[in-house]
Amino acid sequence: MNLDWLDAFLVSGLFYVMMVIGLALLLHLQLGLARIANFGVVGFWGIGMYAFGVLFVKVDWPFGEVWAFLISVVFGTVVAGLAGLLVGWLIADLDIDGVLVGTLGFATAVWILATTEQDLTGGALGMGGLGFPYDIGSVKANETLWLVILTILVAIILYYVSRVHKSPYGRLLISIGDNEPLARSLGKAPFQTKLWLFAVSSAGMGLLGAMYGVNERFLETGNLGIDITLAAMVGLVLGSTTRMWGAAVGVALTVGLFDVVIQFYLPLPREWYTQAIPVLREMVFGGVLIIVLLFRPYGVLGDMRRDKLMRRMHGG
Amino acid sequence: MAGDHKDTAFAREPTRDSDGSRPRVRIQDAVKSFAGRVVVDVDDLTLGTHPIEGLIGPNGAGKTTLLRMIMHSISLDRGTVTLSSDGDGSEVVLSDLPAHRMARHGVVKTNQVITDFEKLTILDSLLLSVAKATDEWPYRIYREQGLYEDTVEGILWYLDRFEFEDPLGFAKSAGEKKLLDIIRCLLLKPRVLLLDEPTAGLPDDIRDQLMGLIDEKAAEENMAVVIVEHDLHVIWTMSDYVHFMAEGRVLLQGEPRSIREHDTVIEKYLGSGHV
Ligand SMILES: Nc1ncnc2c1ncn2[C@@H]1O[C@H](COP(=O)(O)OP(=O)(O)OP(=O)(O)O)[C@@H](O)[C@H]1O
Ligand SMILES: [Mg+2]
Repeated sequence: MNLDWLDAFLVSGLFYVMMVIGLALLLHLQLGLARIANFGVVGFWGIGMYAFGVLFVKVDWPFGEVWAFLISVVFGTVVAGLAGLLVGWLIADLDIDGVLVGTLGFATAVWILATTEQDLTGGALGMGGLGFPYDIGSVKANETLWLVILTILVAIILYYVSRVHKSPYGRLLISIGDNEPLARSLGKAPFQTKLWLFAVSSAGMGLLGAMYGVNERFLETGNLGIDITLAAMVGLVLGSTTRMWGAAVGVALTVGLFDVVIQFYLPLPREWYTQAIPVLREMVFGGVLIIVLLFRPYGVLGDMRRDKLMRRMHGG
Repeated sequence: MAGDHKDTAFAREPTRDSDGSRPRVRIQDAVKSFAGRVVVDVDDLTLGTHPIEGLIGPNGAGKTTLLRMIMHSISLDRGTVTLSSDGDGSEVVLSDLPAHRMARHGVVKTNQVITDFEKLTILDSLLLSVAKATDEWPYRIYREQGLYEDTVEGILWYLDRFEFEDPLGFAKSAGEKKLLDIIRCLLLKPRVLLLDEPTAGLPDDIRDQLMGLIDEKAAEENMAVVIVEHDLHVIWTMSDYVHFMAEGRVLLQGEPRSIREHDTVIEKYLGSGHV
């Protein structure tokens, strides 16, 4: 396949955008529906990435590469899901401050673990040895295929989220986020609901982390800072926390605009990219966020419209 | 008994007797204080020996707090609340259970102050109420249609009787929200229904219709109803038995007639205008 028209930078830029959309969609379930502000997105993402990487690289697999790869991916996903269960259990009964501290603390713990467990993770030096479970030719071809696979995964997440909106489960999440005591009085179990929500969405975040690790072929603790969490959170809030498409639109407008369009298509001096742009980026993100929240507190797309949805589903 | 108010739309025949199979809630040695001030201090109170019981008392008497203690939506400083029914001989210590388990045992309370889900439509609210935990698992993403088909009949039963401006949209007025709150509770098929000032904010015709319905259900479905009301007309006409509460204690109990003629009640609460 001739991929000359495709720039390698564009492929990795799109990979990042797509991944953040996936994270923002999962965050949307937590923040937009159940109103739990998870500031530890990167922790679940990172634990999935490292659990996958460590198992895949450190274990002497007796069978084929592809099987080892798949088992490791499942492992990373499950470990992230279990981490979600644990964190969900810790924060389910806490107020907003508690959730903030708990989730941030979890993300920090993942970073510390990845840094200090050098034998397993390579610590600050990082860990190599990862690769695609296939080889279809050039690096660019392999990366492009991986981007396609990620896109399919994110499309599946998008579909799941859209079904959640249309299901009793989504209604349950909204009710608990909206008025927990009232939901409780109707027999709903907020604790159990939040636990499962965190398990499922964290597993998804972990899977995205594992896929990112593969794409980079190298795991770095530098990835475990606040950037990923902020990217997902800012994108989602900008687009609309409560609407499914908010995640996609918001992330496209922030990360997409900056990491792909501006950096890729604008002929800016090279040295800007390392110095000015990252700072400028955070400033613009912050500024845009403030403006949007001032004038459209529910984000670009506005608040969710259950009345429209109900009419569509049960109005006939 | 209530017989002397047959003129009202929701008055009923005073012939019903207490019924052993009706569930009862017993509150023993139950104390609740806020900021060091004792708000409820109930020695031994049984609710539900009569189909419909009134719970009255001046503002701040602790009526709402007592109901919330039963629902375990606030913690008790001490004491126990037990649900028992002679019918199947079961006994459940409600005060040992978390609040979300009450509905499963059929103990349900409506809210005195307007309480609604801001983000959910009326139909949403009703579907939420009828959905079981098994309908709401994260993987049941195709369950909505089935749930709707299974439950729409029961929901329409209420929507046909009580008109909302736009059932697929949001509850608009305070009255709609109040009504919705009560219907949500009725859809849970309660065995013990605690109504905290159900008529406040409802138009007269809807109030009468609703009270008539509750009266019917108390009789036909063996439901135990406790009504907290400041509109004493409702209390005198509907209840078979009345508890009078002041300063956190139940001071008097008896049939409506004896309560409304009691000096303490008149002095503490009613004034001459109310009787
Ligand atoms: N959460 C709370 N914190 C502090 N004080 C409270 C709380 N809830 C109730 N109280 C106080 O407890 C007392 C009893 O309140 P409660 O609402 O139970 O009375 P009530 O009999 O329902 O009155 P009303 O007829 O006005 O509804 C009041 O003095 C009230 O101010
Ligand atoms: Mg009250």
